[in-house]
Amino acid sequence: MNLSIRVTLTMLAVCLLGGCGFKDIDKRFFVVALGIDHSENEKKPYRLTLQLAVPSPKIEPGASKTQIETIDSESIAEGVRMLKAYVDKELDFGHCKVFLIGEQLARTDYQDVLQWMSRRRDIQSVADIAIGKPDAESLLQVKPISERYPGNTLFLSFGADGTESSYTYVESLSDFSRRSSEKGLDPLMPIITKDSKESFIINRTALLNKKRVKLVLSSSESQLYNQLAKDFTKSSMHGMFEGMDLVVAITSIHSNFRLSKQNDEDIVTMNVKMKVIFEEAPKGLYNDQWGPVEQQLNKEYSKSCVALLKKIQKANVDPIGFGLRYRATHPGNSAWKEWKSIYPNVKFKVNANIRIEGTGLIK
Amino acid sequence: MNRYVFYNFILVSFMNLMLYVPHILIDYRFTGAVSSILIGIVIGSILVYLYTSAMARFPGKGLPEILKLYYPQWVVTASMLFFAIMWWFATTIVVVAFAVLINRFFNPDANTLIILTMLVIACGYAATRSTLSVMFVMEIGLIINAPIILFVLFKAVRSTQLNWDAIHIAANYVTVMPTLTCIAAASFIFTGYINLSLFNRLFPPNFRFKFRFFYPLFGAMILLITFFVPIGFHGTEGVGQYIYIWSFTADSLLMQYGFIERVLFLFLIVYLNLTLVYTMAGWHQAMEFVKSCFPSNKPEIDSPKTPVSNYIIVGIFALLSILYLLMTNEKINMLVTSYWLVLRLFVELFIVVWVVILSKKGAKTA
Repeated sequence: MNLSIRVTLTMLAVCLLGGCGFKDIDKRFFVVALGIDHSENEKKPYRLTLQLAVPSPKIEPGASKTQIETIDSESIAEGVRMLKAYVDKELDFGHCKVFLIGEQLARTDYQDVLQWMSRRRDIQSVADIAIGKPDAESLLQVKPISERYPGNTLFLSFGADGTESSYTYVESLSDFSRRSSEKGLDPLMPIITKDSKESFIINRTALLNKKRVKLVLSSSESQLYNQLAKDFTKSSMHGMFEGMDLVVAITSIHSNFRLSKQNDEDIVTMNVKMKVIFEEAPKGLYNDQWGPVEQQLNKEYSKSCVALLKKIQKANVDPIGFGLRYRATHPGNSAWKEWKSIYPNVKFKVNANIRIEGTGLIK
Repeated sequence: MNRYVFYNFILVSFMNLMLYVPHILIDYRFTGAVSSILIGIVIGSILVYLYTSAMARFPGKGLPEILKLYYPQWVVTASMLFFAIMWWFATTIVVVAFAVLINRFFNPDANTLIILTMLVIACGYAATRSTLSVMFVMEIGLIINAPIILFVLFKAVRSTQLNWDAIHIAANYVTVMPTLTCIAAASFIFTGYINLSLFNRLFPPNFRFKFRFFYPLFGAMILLITFFVPIGFHGTEGVGQYIYIWSFTADSLLMQYGFIERVLFLFLIVYLNLTLVYTMAGWHQAMEFVKSCFPSNKPEIDSPKTPVSNYIIVGIFALLSILYLLMTNEKINMLVTSYWLVLRLFVELFIVVWVVILSKKGAKTA
């Protein structure tokens, strides 16, 4: 091909480049967190709160600056469009890592919100989703003093980079969206509250059905749930032995479950295997027999597990996925219907198998 | 030389994600997809074996030359024109789908038409090169991109988000009778062998097809991942709602310490490369088929000077692709693709049987 054709083609390609709607980074507002609440206004039921990152040349604790924009609107999409008229730069959801749903909204119906998130292409499905209590707006107003980047605090609380709390259940948008439609696996979300103007507390978990919140677990139940369902180590367990308080740290945990039928009763058997190290124990335990202590711990652990499972069962939600397992092991279209009648009466059995590895550094 | 056969096979098996194969299979997940996958694997493997065995009898000859040995020119012209349309269409739906995908995920403000124009200029130029160059480009493209795709697939399979109970539920529907659409979609994974129709020209007389057990194994692995991993990620119910199912699955993955956290963008860029390579290969073959319609044409695998006819034919392909984009939308493209997949299955069966019969005939007369 001769030179002139090559040059013409190149020029043509370059001319086409101008067509993209490219905007410079300093002409964009990055949304770092989005809160969606129920407003009191009946005509405009959604209250959107956007936390916008304000770029700052300083990177040091407390240097993070954010701008909060709030709007009431008829629908979420229209609200976001409308908010564009409130700011001077293009809104960009590409870095939005945390979505907060106000408690009231989560208690009525979350499906519309979820659908909007799944439909938008720029909302990442790896983003975290949580319930804000009492509402999302007031939580986004919180200004943590140690925050280095805008919106970083909430994001660090959920990821594995920063703190890893055994009380925090981490839910991603894609997992939530799967659970919200799956037969036999129900959604759950962490609940975020604030203690003052400067920090968040994330130690409770809400269990939802396909529409709204059904049950809120207390913080110790949330930790137990994380151990059972997510094999979360770095957590602790409290027990009693002959009237003395024991606290152990879990170094490894494996749990599985199976469904069986015995004497016409459906039974869910959970096996939990864990290795533990003492964090708080009466002195001299090192020289005692560990066998009875292990057994006592086993007994207490299974008791609290069964209590939790029964509580979840009573709320008629199934976050661990017993129903899904039933459908998997019982082929046929009627399995789901059967399970729905079985689940309210199913019996739980938890076999804990705790092995003490040591008593820490002292006897 | 066997690696050139592998490249064709691997490239096409990866491209299934762009041809809505997972989407079609997942639509039928409770109504026959699993059994169709099994049958698709069998049909695909048999076709690979038959076609490679038959082609081995015609060393250095492509499909046009083989037909010319036995039939008058008008038969060759008619069939080659038809095959050229099939090959052109196979790639056009992919490149058009990708233009729409770029518009959806990368830059919604950009005009799809402009994106497609850029893509077809790149593919078109590459397609006008000689057969040998096209093969080399394909080799480079695959060597660069295939490891990344395998990485993403591996990451997806090993992810803790993958729910094996959901996969188990879908697999339980293996007893449902297969459907034609699903078999056509499933067997597409194996269809790379049909590119030998042209690339067989490259192989020397003493060439032998080796390691043929690799094709069924690799194809089955890709097919199972294609179908089951999205179900494991999005659940048996939720998986049905997504249009770009694999883009969404890639988006559910996180590379915490990668340069880009979202696997989605890595995935899309790699697939952009593969789409360009695939389109180039498809158009090049279609172009050669059109050229073989003229009696005076002599096949050349590495001509020093590009004939003008190359530019004219590929230019027509490019314009037709743009026309196709203007006439269709996402939904029609998806529908057309599912019909095309069925048609493709029968055309391929026809080609394979035809060449096998010719190869037996050749053995008798020779």
